Amino acid sequence: MPAGRPGPAAQSARRPPPPLPLLLLCVLGAPRAGSGADTAVISPQDPTLLIGSSLQATCSVHGDPPGATAEGLYWTLNGRRLPRELSRVLNASTLALALANLNGSRQQSGDNLVCHARDGSILAGSCLYVGLPPEKPFNISCWSKNMKDLTCRWTPGAQGETFLHTNYSLKYKLRWYGQDNTCEEYHTVGPHSCHIPKDLALFTPYEIWVEATNRLGSARSDVLTLDILDVVTTDPPPDVHVSRVGGLEDQLSVRWVSPPALKDFLFQAKYQIRYRVEDSVDWKVVDDVSNQTSCRLAGLKPGTVYFVQVRCNPFGIYGSKKAGIWSEWSHPTAASTPRSGSLAALLLPCLHLALFFDLLSLCISLVALHRFTLPASLLSPSLNLCLSLSSFLSSASLSLSLTPALSLRLTPPALASLLRPPPFHSHLAQATGIGFLEEMWRRSPFLLLPSISSGAQLGCYAGPWRGPRPRETWREVPEGNAVPPPPPPPPDAGEPPSPARARPLPGAH
Amino acid sequence: MSRREGSLDPQTDSSISSLPHLEAKIHQTHSLARLLTKYAEQLLQEYVQHQGDPFGLPGFSPPRLPVAGLSAPAPGHAGLPAPERLRLDAAALAALPPLLDVVRRRQAELNPRAPRLLRRLEDAARQARALGAAVEAVLAALGAETRGPRPEPAAAAAAAAAAAGVFLAKVLGLRVCGLYRDWVSRTEADLGQLVPGCPA
Repeated sequence: MPAGRPGPAAQSARRPPPPLPLLLLCVLGAPRAGSGADTAVISPQDPTLLIGSSLQATCSVHGDPPGATAEGLYWTLNGRRLPRELSRVLNASTLALALANLNGSRQQSGDNLVCHARDGSILAGSCLYVGLPPEKPFNISCWSKNMKDLTCRWTPGAQGETFLHTNYSLKYKLRWYGQDNTCEEYHTVGPHSCHIPKDLALFTPYEIWVEATNRLGSARSDVLTLDILDVVTTDPPPDVHVSRVGGLEDQLSVRWVSPPALKDFLFQAKYQIRYRVEDSVDWKVVDDVSNQTSCRLAGLKPGTVYFVQVRCNPFGIYGSKKAGIWSEWSHPTAASTPRSGSLAALLLPCLHLALFFDLLSLCISLVALHRFTLPASLLSPSLNLCLSLSSFLSSASLSLSLTPALSLRLTPPALASLLRPPPFHSHLAQATGIGFLEEMWRRSPFLLLPSISSGAQLGCYAGPWRGPRPRETWREVPEGNAVPPPPPPPPDAGEPPSPARARPLPGAH
Repeated sequence: MSRREGSLDPQTDSSISSLPHLEAKIHQTHSLARLLTKYAEQLLQEYVQHQGDPFGLPGFSPPRLPVAGLSAPAPGHAGLPAPERLRLDAAALAALPPLLDVVRRRQAELNPRAPRLLRRLEDAARQARALGAAVEAVLAALGAETRGPRPEPAAAAAAAAAAAGVFLAKVLGLRVCGLYRDWVSRTEADLGQLVPGCPA
């Protein structure tokens, strides 16, 4: 049995045929061209029927001149001739038709049942409306954009397929007073939606429901009660920017601005971020971004393009206890993580990087050439320069081991300070009292020695300067080296301080 | 003005606008009529699609019901003098808009989910008014008498359409759309005979 109340149209099949339409009376004074002089009328006119029901119809000919008979008449339904056995001649001027188990109407304007003369000319027609009454609409949801309006959406009962034009009307009223109002702007966000643009009250509940009506009856949804403040949404956060975090290959920084439309209202905005790899459809969601306008994404793949979106939930507006409604996602913003193993990804500007390696290379080559005398406290017969680069590419630090006495390790922050112009600090200098590196840095930041080859292993760690400024005697530098001659020793130069045992700075590992 | 079909003789009437201006006006109106003929064909196709078979089937021959206040171009229309033809064109174009409005209102009930059809019907009413006004401007430029405002049969047509059964309303709507196409096409042909160099 169909749901909803039956409408008056459901009874039309049994009513007596209506009088001839006014237009026919007006236009039938003269014979119609091409159709003979016969006229006819089909009864019932435009009946409405349930799917599966039967129809008994008649075509009555008003012949002029007399003699036009029902013999030779035939029926078509939607252009298809109906089998003869469905028709029978009731009398000389009336042909009857019996249709059973009707299917739903093929078009909304009604199925065309036509009575034809023997020569095929159209004598009369009637449109059949076969369908179902509407079922109760359900799943009404509403939201207010920035507290200025209200948009509601619903689901039609029985998936909306009634085979008849069904009219949906959204109604609303203030809960404790006021009259029923009808929404007027339909289909704003889909076929079953309506938009109320203005004149809405805050801090007082509304009752909202949907009425569905067609020729076979009507149905009404359950009533939804809500306060506008409990269903507020807003625009997506504007100005979303995604950028790299220095040289960190697995991180991106996301920044945005809170939606301007609600900036004057007190609320604790919640934000959500989602991101995906460029050629993937799977989004990852960062859920716990509350009341901030920036966030850092970590654990990303190096050298990869990511798309990022942000949305906002203005919950708690004006003290509302409800969850609020998420905005749409912002337009996707793209950014890429640095490539893995890139020197530029780990170190600051190449200029500083080249400078650092040049310094180190010079140090090593000078030692190797025995052109530079390290203090005895530093050198040992088994001086073994061990440059470790194996962990260089996979870690974010550089470590230089000038075994057995010295080790330097640089983490990126320390390296950043290391690579800046003087003062230059290093454990090497501290441990040995050698101000060489610092001196070289100060005198000649652009050295000509190439950086270490990729096969070398290099590690470097540096920390803040802790000791007094070292004093040292400089030897001649080999010709061709771009290092300038050392300055003359200060007048009060004395014994070099005892080297302290190099030890890694706290947190060096 | 010469009575020969398709010719203009500006010497016969000193009140006629200058020839270049007249030719430009005729040319412009002819172009408009040509464009609207295409739109009228599209309207007809859109209309039959939404009424269901047999309306769209080849060989469909509904009763050619007379429409209050408007008839199809007569078979002898082409033999009339140019001003007379244009006067009949203008009169038909003036009668069409209210009929198209009636059809649109009825179709809004029968096919509420056919926005394109409803929009085309609305556009057709406006286009018919525009073309009718342009034709009357040509008549005025020709120095030919234009008839005064005609009473619109909208009230009678609306009442008839409202009372008619659905099938009859569909047939009447088809008739009105057909008349619109016929008269716009007729106007294009009549103006084309006045455009220099345009084949008759």
